[in-house]
Amino acid sequence: MTQTSDGAARAPVVFVVDDDGSVRAALADLLVSVGLEAKCYASVTEFLAGDRLDAPGCLVLDVRMPGLSGLEFQREMAKWKIQLPVIFITGHGDIPMSVSAMKAGAIEFLAKPFRDQDLLDAIQAGLEKDRVRRQEAAAIAELKLRCSALTPREREVMELVVTGLLNKQIAARLGVSEVTVKVSRGQVMRKLQADSLAELVRFADRLKDAGRDRGIPPG
Amino acid sequence: MRMKPSGRVLAMAALSIGIFVADTVTNLEIAVAVFYVAVVLLAIGHFRARGVVLVSAGCMALTIVSFLLSKEGAPESGLVNCAISLLAIAATTHLGLKTVAASVAIQEAQAQLARIARVTSLGELTASIAHEINQSLAAITTSGNACMRWLAAQPPNLEKARLGAERIVSDASRASEVILRVRQLAKRAPPHKDWSSLADGIAEIIALTRGEIERHHIALRLRLAQGLPAIRFDKVQIQQVVLNLILNSIEAMKGTAGRPRELTISLEPADQGSVLVAVGDSGVGFGSLQPEQFFDAFYTTKSEGMGMGLAISRSIVEAHGGHIWAEPNPQGGATFRFTLPTAETEAP
Repeated sequence: MTQTSDGAARAPVVFVVDDDGSVRAALADLLVSVGLEAKCYASVTEFLAGDRLDAPGCLVLDVRMPGLSGLEFQREMAKWKIQLPVIFITGHGDIPMSVSAMKAGAIEFLAKPFRDQDLLDAIQAGLEKDRVRRQEAAAIAELKLRCSALTPREREVMELVVTGLLNKQIAARLGVSEVTVKVSRGQVMRKLQADSLAELVRFADRLKDAGRDRGIPPG
Repeated sequence: MRMKPSGRVLAMAALSIGIFVADTVTNLEIAVAVFYVAVVLLAIGHFRARGVVLVSAGCMALTIVSFLLSKEGAPESGLVNCAISLLAIAATTHLGLKTVAASVAIQEAQAQLARIARVTSLGELTASIAHEINQSLAAITTSGNACMRWLAAQPPNLEKARLGAERIVSDASRASEVILRVRQLAKRAPPHKDWSSLADGIAEIIALTRGEIERHHIALRLRLAQGLPAIRFDKVQIQQVVLNLILNSIEAMKGTAGRPRELTISLEPADQGSVLVAVGDSGVGFGSLQPEQFFDAFYTTKSEGMGMGLAISRSIVEAHGGHIWAEPNPQGGATFRFTLPTAETEAP
């Protein structure tokens, strides 16, 4: 699975996966007519083999297709490291399925034939959600990068600073002079580009949350 | 006893001559002319009512002529024998015609029943037929909206709008084809054999059932041989058979879990120039029953089934001169196969 990285500010892409050729062609045309880029695939397999693009995106997926169904794929998306928001479309009128799809985090579940505005609204919501997620991810990545520049001593100091201890207390805790603590603290603030203690605390929390989400210990 | 038409006529003529000679020339004191009923019986069922009446009248005429020509024997017994013979011929003709009328009525009833079974099968496909149409409608609606957006653009994009309109027309005709197929299957047309492509006929049924197959998460494997010899068959009837087998296979796989669901449909040449159609599944198979029992009329595992499907399928296939049978699959499930003779091996 190839990954092209043209930078974070690419135009958004909508991925359409539906085994019906007419539906694909019509959807692609609709999306282009509102200025969106569309990439169409006839099956989940084809989609997985296609290019992943470094751009905000969302996925418009038919629920039932030969082979892997859309709903099963939604459950498996984490395995494939796909975090795209999902919009389901169906020709079968599956009401119970719509409930499970929404519970599993789909943006929308539309029955064919759907009103074009309903789909476009859902796509905009999906793209916005993905934009926000990508911004978050970029910010975390940036923080991590800055964090990796800290020395072990600086990291120790940071962890204690954000718990609210005074420099004096930190010095006592670590068994170093208060001056050393002050210097390290200054380095931490500079390297992490934090303007205030409050901001530093926020950075530390974000790093901890991001680490927890992936089961990695912070720091 | 199946004889070629010309052979039958020959036999009737030979018999008539033989009886006439025996009646006229010999002096047996029995009503030899009664044997003309054999000629009438040969005519029944293979000639129309009018033809049978003609044959019968001919035999009666021959009887009278024999009587008039006979020199031997007593005139009274000759008259009596003639009367007996005429009565026998008339009675046989009357009963024979009644039999013909009855069998015509049976055939009509069978055709009705087959049609009912066909329409019932179509009824089971309602959801997937609706789905097929729905896909076309969704594409049409979306294309229409895209079209309007292109026309409202600054400046309007006429080329894209035109392409959109073309797609709409094409999708609409796809939907009307589905309706056409359904109509053809539901029609009350009398049986009508014609030269047709069996591969195309099967493909049409597969298109109709694709939605149903998808709905049950079944993988479809097709092996339709192209370029097969021409076959003369009743398209609606054979499509009914294929439809019945496919629906049965889907039914058989409904309850299975943990095993991949596969429906295999194949069309290939068989020996002596005939063709073989096979519909196989990975379903529940025959259980403890013999495959043959499934062809019994009114045998069904479905809660709302009539049980006529396979019985009717068998009568359709055999009316075409073919055979239909079922076998369990080694890996589970069952395969139903039927043969159809082609031009060279067509049944009389």
